[in-house]
Amino acid sequence: MGTVHARSLDPLPAAGPDIGFVVGDDAELVEVEPETRQEVLENKDVVVQHVHFDGLGRTKDDFIVYEIGEVFKAKNLIDVMRKSHEAREKLLRLGIFRQVEVLIDTCEGDDALPNGIDVTFEVTELRRVTGSYNTMVGNNEGSMVLGIKLPNLCGRAEKMTFQFSYGTKETSYGLSFFKPQPGNFERNFSVNLYKVTGQFPWSSLRETDRGISTEISFPIWKTSHTLKWEGVWRELGCLSRTASFSIREESGHSLKSSLSHTMAIDTRNSSILPRKGALLKINQELAGYTGGDVSFLKEDFELQLNKRLIWDSVLSASLWGGMLVPIGEKPSSIADRFYLGGPTSIRGFSMYSIGPQSEGDYLGGEAYWAGGLHLYTPLPFRPGQGGFGDLFRTHFFLNAGNLCNLNYGEGPKAHLRKLAECIRWSYGAGIVLRLGNIARLELNYCIPMGVQSGDRICDGVQFGAGIRFL
Amino acid sequence: MSLVADAFVSQIAAAEAWPENAALYQPLKGEQILLSDNASSLAVQAFLKMCNLPCQVICRANAEYMSPSGKVPFIHVGNQVVSELGPVVQFIKAKGHSLSDGLDEVQKAEMKAYMELVNNMLLTAELYIQWCDEATLEEITEPRYSSPFPWPLNYILVYQKRWEIQRKMKAIGWANKSLDQVFEDVDQCCQALSQRLGAQPYFFSKQPTELDALVFGHLFTILTTQLTNDELREKVKKYKNLIDFCRRIEHNYFEDHAKDTSAGGMQRLPKGPSLH
Amino acid sequence: MAAPMELFCWKGDWGLPSVDVDCLAVLTYARFSGAPLKVHKITNPWKSPSGSLPALRTEENGVISQTHQIITHLRKQKYNADYDLSARQGADTLAFVSLLEEKLLPALIHTFWIDAKNYVEHTRKWYAESIPFPLNFFLPNRMHRQHMERLRLIRGDAWIEDEGELEKELYRDAQECLSLLSQRLGSQKFFFGDSPASLDAYIFSHLALLLKANLPSSKLQQHLKSLDNLCNYCVSILSMYFTWDMAASQSTSPRRAQAEPQDGDEEPHKRRNQILSVAVGLIAMIGYALLSGIVSIQRGSAGNAVTGRVVIGEEDEED
Repeated sequence: MGTVHARSLDPLPAAGPDIGFVVGDDAELVEVEPETRQEVLENKDVVVQHVHFDGLGRTKDDFIVYEIGEVFKAKNLIDVMRKSHEAREKLLRLGIFRQVEVLIDTCEGDDALPNGIDVTFEVTELRRVTGSYNTMVGNNEGSMVLGIKLPNLCGRAEKMTFQFSYGTKETSYGLSFFKPQPGNFERNFSVNLYKVTGQFPWSSLRETDRGISTEISFPIWKTSHTLKWEGVWRELGCLSRTASFSIREESGHSLKSSLSHTMAIDTRNSSILPRKGALLKINQELAGYTGGDVSFLKEDFELQLNKRLIWDSVLSASLWGGMLVPIGEKPSSIADRFYLGGPTSIRGFSMYSIGPQSEGDYLGGEAYWAGGLHLYTPLPFRPGQGGFGDLFRTHFFLNAGNLCNLNYGEGPKAHLRKLAECIRWSYGAGIVLRLGNIARLELNYCIPMGVQSGDRICDGVQFGAGIRFL
Repeated sequence: MSLVADAFVSQIAAAEAWPENAALYQPLKGEQILLSDNASSLAVQAFLKMCNLPCQVICRANAEYMSPSGKVPFIHVGNQVVSELGPVVQFIKAKGHSLSDGLDEVQKAEMKAYMELVNNMLLTAELYIQWCDEATLEEITEPRYSSPFPWPLNYILVYQKRWEIQRKMKAIGWANKSLDQVFEDVDQCCQALSQRLGAQPYFFSKQPTELDALVFGHLFTILTTQLTNDELREKVKKYKNLIDFCRRIEHNYFEDHAKDTSAGGMQRLPKGPSLH
Repeated sequence: MAAPMELFCWKGDWGLPSVDVDCLAVLTYARFSGAPLKVHKITNPWKSPSGSLPALRTEENGVISQTHQIITHLRKQKYNADYDLSARQGADTLAFVSLLEEKLLPALIHTFWIDAKNYVEHTRKWYAESIPFPLNFFLPNRMHRQHMERLRLIRGDAWIEDEGELEKELYRDAQECLSLLSQRLGSQKFFFGDSPASLDAYIFSHLALLLKANLPSSKLQQHLKSLDNLCNYCVSILSMYFTWDMAASQSTSPRRAQAEPQDGDEEPHKRRNQILSVAVGLIAMIGYALLSGIVSIQRGSAGNAVTGRVVIGEEDEED
């Protein structure tokens, strides 16, 4: 009886052993379990007769069928193993199983064909409710975050999450519901309900958002698309009594209802410190036609190219740009405008402290561009190579960009000229630390150039943490 | 800048002359402003006019949220923002203008007391009528207060504000009062003001003070605002000397632009506050 | 004449007939006007017929619980201390009462209930010692919350953001108010000449409380003590109208006063305390029994049903 444990396949395809190797192992396994009937099935045509599931509780059968349908189409053993492996990957990605094991066995029973094979998935479902508890400290306040997750709510990989953060200054919460299309995890639908409070000291602004949004994501060819409707009730207020009058004028309630579309092509091997590949992301948002009292059209894009050079070094170039066009009489709101500057965009400047300002409060701009050129290299002398040291990189960077407001009387040429004048730029070097595959930390020495009056600079050592970097 | 709290700020305030571009912010005059806000705004305007300080009135839909104290009106002078009559009087005093310098100490005490009487009774009564009387709330307050906001924000914000005011009424013991009791209080207050005024042109004989500005702001607004019924106005109308007092201040300080705002405002928006 | 009106109010201490501003105002007015009241000085607001103090139980109008209404009622019953006042003085009364409510009262609330040191060392301590068990565990906190809420509503939302600013503003207003009152009183005996009126009852109640309380920290008290005419005014009213009460309250310490039954009021008190404590004990015991019972029942059934799906809680233990 040839038993193959597909479990030995690594869930990470990039680093996992390839299928052929495991099949080579087959002979060994056969030796370990000596049986009378020995057969090499490697290249023989087989038929997958049954697929069994052990350990299914509340997951619906019809939903599972979509995920493992391909297994039946396998023609030979290698195919069976590959397809089973893929099915296992798919099952794990659904986020409803803690463990999936695959067992491939020859078929037994009355109706067994001579070349019939049974595949058995042994799964362990996640608990009906999982909770988490965190405390966070930062930005002069502490907060406690409670999270509740209900995976596989109705048996078809629906997920409900609730997060509640109770802080010393603010409370926020979020409730979201997520449902993928059976058999096609990339096509999914989600609804979010949230309240978020943000304090923006660079603008002396406090913003409380309460909103609801629905999102549909789907892939087309190599691109992924997201269509989103969002309705947000925004409450703006001054952070302190000393806020400038321009901020005061923005205070009050507004309701934004917007439709947005995002298209992204991502061929990078990792979103943090990629070695190769490119990213193009185009986002457009139209607010106002579906209700609310805020109307604008907002376009922005992000482009990143990575090229591997000698000695494990990577050259990375990125370009961001965006434009906000208010529709109608009303000027754009401070909450919708773009901000630039800080350790995640143009290094060497203080956080969001570039461009139009009033009494030291930055007001943001309606158009911006920013570009960056980075050379990432391993640490000098490569300490801790192959382990801890691989989380670090040194980098040399050159950032540039500009942010301004648009005056629609002047025409597009004038706008371009405006964006090309008085470019802020900076250069420097530093160390980058990768935190998992989610975030990164940077410690840089920066030299800001092209500083305009009113900008706040942060020359010398600057620390940055974030998810999205220029 | 913050409220004029300490001597340091007062000095800064005094050092600067009254700027040309001083502005008073209030909610939209035509379709938004409520009785109580209009009264407070008019009081500050009257006070500034009595001090002979020019000030431009600017109407903003979000004036309430722009104000540092959350109450309208507020004035923006230089880079300082001061809201409500009390702080404005202090601020102006720091700038070297005062209407009550000629009073002796006892008169000053009386002036303060009467100002608090207006705030305590008239203003609270106005708030009560606006937010706690169902008919007024439905016909006037709701549509006016929610006018700048889109659906569903209009309902949410009116509800929030109403809840806030009702809790305030509860805290100061007005929640159990009936509308008639509130009118009774207004009558009592007017009677007291009328008694205090007597036959004088202003509360403290010849010269107007901030008390005159405050009383004018409230009484004039009550007299010229059309509510669901005339009861509130009738309460004030009973006191002849108070009506004459309002006319006098209107004539002396608001005469020049009374014509253009009054006629138009009256015809366009019969329910809106307007001068006549 | 029908049965006398009954007044329920907080008991006195610190040489005052009552420790509450509103109660004190009503008591003082009653003394000024000579209204015959049967006064119940209690320490349990739940015993008041309206649930709050002060409360006046009358024959014809039922229970009246607001200071203004009580005084108005007494006035209508021909116990009018303002009988001799001119219309102008009547107007002044209204104005100065407003001044007190708008300027001095918020600062008093802050001094007694919001200022942390005063609240913990003085106000909370007094109420916790005076209010009978078990109400003393939560009533002071509830009163604290109510007062905080009240102050927030009076002064608007802004004060939460910068408390220091608010405090300064409150005390500046209050000090100004005290100075104005001192100016207005001048060298007179009462605010309107030689006989006390309702305004004196209001002003006395606010001032005396501030003057007599042993507050650990009070700028306002210092300021009041520096205004001699107001201090003398308080002392003279106390000695003229409350001599007997002061003697009584000084001779009995709060603890002994509590032990001595007043008007036979203590009797239902004790009974309720007993019932309450027994009830609390019972609930706790039943609750514990139920809780542990449920747990054991669930465990047992899970153990018996070997094949069945186990409850989520159990699943955790299996892992």
